Amino acid sequence: MQMPEPSQAIMNQRDALAVALRQIVGQEWVISDEAERRPYQCDGITAYMAMPLLVVLPGSAAEVQQILRLCHEKGVKVVPRGSGTSLSGGALPLEDGILLVTSRLCNVLEVDAANRVARVQPGVPNIKISEAVQHLGLCYMPDPSSQLISTIGGNVAENAGGVHCLKYGVTANHILGLEAVLMTGEILHLGGAYLGAAEGELDLMGVLTGSEGLLAMVTEIAVRLEPVPEVARVISMSFPSVEEACACVGAIVGAGIIPAGLEFMDRKVLDAVSVLIRETFDSSTAALLLCELDGTAVEVDALVDVVSDVARAQGAIETKVSTTEEERQRIWSSRKLAFSAIGKLCPDYYCTDGTIPRNKLPEVLNKMADMSVKYGLDYANCFHAGDGNLHPIIMYDAAKPGDLEKAEAFGADVLIACVDAGGVLSGEHGVGVEKRDLMTHQFTEIDLNQQQMVKCAFDPAELLNPGKVFPTACRCAEFGRMHVRNGAVRFPDIPRF
Amino acid sequence: MTQTETTCLRPSSTQDVADIIMDAAAAGQTLAITGNGTRQGFGNPVTASRTLELGGLDQVAFYEPEDLVIRAGVGLTLDELEHMLAQKSQYLPFEPPRYTGLYGTDGRRSTLGGAVATALSGPRRILCGAVRDFVLGVEGVNGQGDVFKAGGRTMKNVTGYDLSKLVTGACGTLAALTSITLKVLPAPRAELTLVVPAGTLEDDRALFEKIRALPLGVSGLARRVAADECCEVVIRVEGTIPGVAGNRQVLEGLLPTPPRVAEQEESRALWQDIRELSCLAPRADELVWRVNLPATAMPVFVDEARRAGCISRFFVDWAGGVVFSTMRGVQPEVDALRYRKMAEKIGARAMLLRAPDPIRSQFGAFPPVAAGVAALERRTRAAFDPAGIFNPGRMTVQA
Ligand SMILES: Cc1cc2nc3c(=O)[nH]c(=O)nc-3n(C[C@H](O)[C@H](O)[C@H](O)COP(=O)(O)OP(=O)(O)OC[C@H]3O[C@@H](n4cnc5c(N)ncnc54)[C@H](O)[C@@H]3O)c2cc1C
Repeated sequence: MQMPEPSQAIMNQRDALAVALRQIVGQEWVISDEAERRPYQCDGITAYMAMPLLVVLPGSAAEVQQILRLCHEKGVKVVPRGSGTSLSGGALPLEDGILLVTSRLCNVLEVDAANRVARVQPGVPNIKISEAVQHLGLCYMPDPSSQLISTIGGNVAENAGGVHCLKYGVTANHILGLEAVLMTGEILHLGGAYLGAAEGELDLMGVLTGSEGLLAMVTEIAVRLEPVPEVARVISMSFPSVEEACACVGAIVGAGIIPAGLEFMDRKVLDAVSVLIRETFDSSTAALLLCELDGTAVEVDALVDVVSDVARAQGAIETKVSTTEEERQRIWSSRKLAFSAIGKLCPDYYCTDGTIPRNKLPEVLNKMADMSVKYGLDYANCFHAGDGNLHPIIMYDAAKPGDLEKAEAFGADVLIACVDAGGVLSGEHGVGVEKRDLMTHQFTEIDLNQQQMVKCAFDPAELLNPGKVFPTACRCAEFGRMHVRNGAVRFPDIPRF
Repeated sequence: MTQTETTCLRPSSTQDVADIIMDAAAAGQTLAITGNGTRQGFGNPVTASRTLELGGLDQVAFYEPEDLVIRAGVGLTLDELEHMLAQKSQYLPFEPPRYTGLYGTDGRRSTLGGAVATALSGPRRILCGAVRDFVLGVEGVNGQGDVFKAGGRTMKNVTGYDLSKLVTGACGTLAALTSITLKVLPAPRAELTLVVPAGTLEDDRALFEKIRALPLGVSGLARRVAADECCEVVIRVEGTIPGVAGNRQVLEGLLPTPPRVAEQEESRALWQDIRELSCLAPRADELVWRVNLPATAMPVFVDEARRAGCISRFFVDWAGGVVFSTMRGVQPEVDALRYRKMAEKIGARAMLLRAPDPIRSQFGAFPPVAAGVAALERRTRAAFDPAGIFNPGRMTVQA
């Protein structure tokens, strides 16, 4: 994984830049000390590290505006960062760029229960929104597993999903308005704090969501609030084979039911978690599905019966339905502990998030088994089955020479298999640097050019989070002058990072 | 906009579309992009050298009900699409309106592409989301004749910029879309609508708020003019048979008077009328408006606008979040400006849904956006269509 060559000229200006930034945010909010910068070297992917030039923590949108204006003038790159839980390297620092961290922008600005909207700052951890509106019987629906830590700004940038997005949708479906600052320092307001506030606008908000911090710095978000479902019950269904479990996923949806969540765990995951939860799973179980149904009590009771019938018809060995909230939490604990349980089995693991059409699950899972043999690395599967979002956990040992490279190659093969099955490289973690060089497998040169032209409309100087998502630089200046014909190779001479 | 036969092109493949666009770009010609032309009254009037009609791209590439996904050419009619889905007990949750009555066109010919380009979402918006929330992927041709795809067919996707959202609602000003991949959902098995006489606007808004605060999955909340010219509040619940029956009971407990209940077919017809704005019954010379606003601001806004003579007939949908109205101004030019100003004052967005061409050209069908956003919109359009050959002026008023 190669990043753009850092500019020595910019790095030489570090001290002067620190002084200028301190004038904007105050002495203590620019971190220049090396030891204090170290915790910011990587995001959720520890395999990729770089020391940021400076870490800057603005306290307001106005400060963000001044910082960006300054950096734009001086040609300094900027990497936005929330909590740094990204699993694709989107918040990986640049040695010649500042890291713009939102941790001080952490206020819920307004809760408007009557219009069911909250206005929040980007550094608010996801869970804090729901906590702030709990007393009103409301919640913010998207619930990434990282919700205790990951920020709403990071969620917007990665269009985060979660266990419940099968029924309730991903971040993009819950954002009504954004305040964003362009690299030039210009503040934009898109949409607003009510449903339909963006009607008749070009959907710039839609394209900003999931843009991985490449288009603008988000400084305020208006999110939709929903009433907390009256009840939720989970059905745990064990299957003698992976194929039958996968078939059951399609059968549930085919029966006209959209569960709140539908998660898959294979035998390896079950064995790993059984140690932690002190519960054994029947030896004939090869895979387990957890299906959560929510709504009114009457509705959920009706659906539980249908899903249980479907599961039995699909060959489930056993189905267990939670009857109390406590039981529901206990059943879910196996899924929640899955990743840490696997972590205990191996020194390191690597997890990607390719997404495929649901009916291709057995095919791609089988291919993974072959890849495991090919690379000689063990793996386990625990993923959002309902929306075909795979999370293969590839186990390796970073201390063993060549193991990380093998794990990465295994991961890349899985992603390629996902794209070949009609799917995509990323369902919720984003492309970042991790999947960047695979983009050409999913998109043609023309597709990528079209996306990069949009980047040029937002950030023609290419100073905002460069080196991420796209395998080549944008070269916005050339785009402006270009007129090429369909199918022609556009930039045969562009160097890859 | 009038076009003669010879200037209307109706290709039947993506490649033909690309060739036409490349030729037009080379010749410095502009193109009006349409589906079957049933919504030419929406947005600003367009004057272009030629019309590119995409209604011929009507093939279904695939429909996989168990994966809740369909991909079809933009020319597929919404009627055909919905019929196909219904055969598998599925549906388009965003309830795309046809506006047949509004524009006096043949709504049976309204296309999928038109629905995505105009991004008009129906009454279920309050529960299920908007058109954009169901567009998983698109294929289109940009202003240089390049065929590009964006998005995909999976339910989740964060792979590159979400250009599918950007082209949705762009009224064909970014690209000539050729095919669209949609997420579809199982249709609810049961539905019914509770009908009670309307109270004051504030009473009804408060009732909406109370109902929406409950996790009942209410999928329609409107206040409309009934056949007898009286106003009524209509509340739709959908789901399983026992679920709907249970919700009905809860809702009945909240209502000021025992409701009349419209079941299944009747409920469906009722919401189709709301979706199509039938109860507005605009006269030929009336303007039709749609104002999106915070529900809490609705009662005062409507009262003031009526007093100011800016609203003649109206109804409210989306639990108070959208007001549809007619305007019978002696001087529509003056009233249009006044009404839009009133909306702007409270941060609302007033869209001119129907008006004679000169009025839409002058005021713009869409409410103006702030200068910075307008500039970014312009740059974004140029990123797709550098020479501005697609639907010139459709979304922006030319200076
Ligand atoms: C244990 C664990 C579980 C996870 N589970 C899920 C899950 O279930 N679903 C899921 O979708 N993801 C999951 N993730 C991934 C990650 O949590 C999400 O991508 C999250 O949205 C990142 O938020 P963050 O605040 O940590 O952002 P960061 O990691 O700091 O940044 C992520 C990206 O957003 C950009 N960014 C951050 N803030 C802004 C801003 N204000 N404006 C513009 N750009 C910005 C950054 O430049 C970067 O590209 C998980 C991660 C971990 C470690």
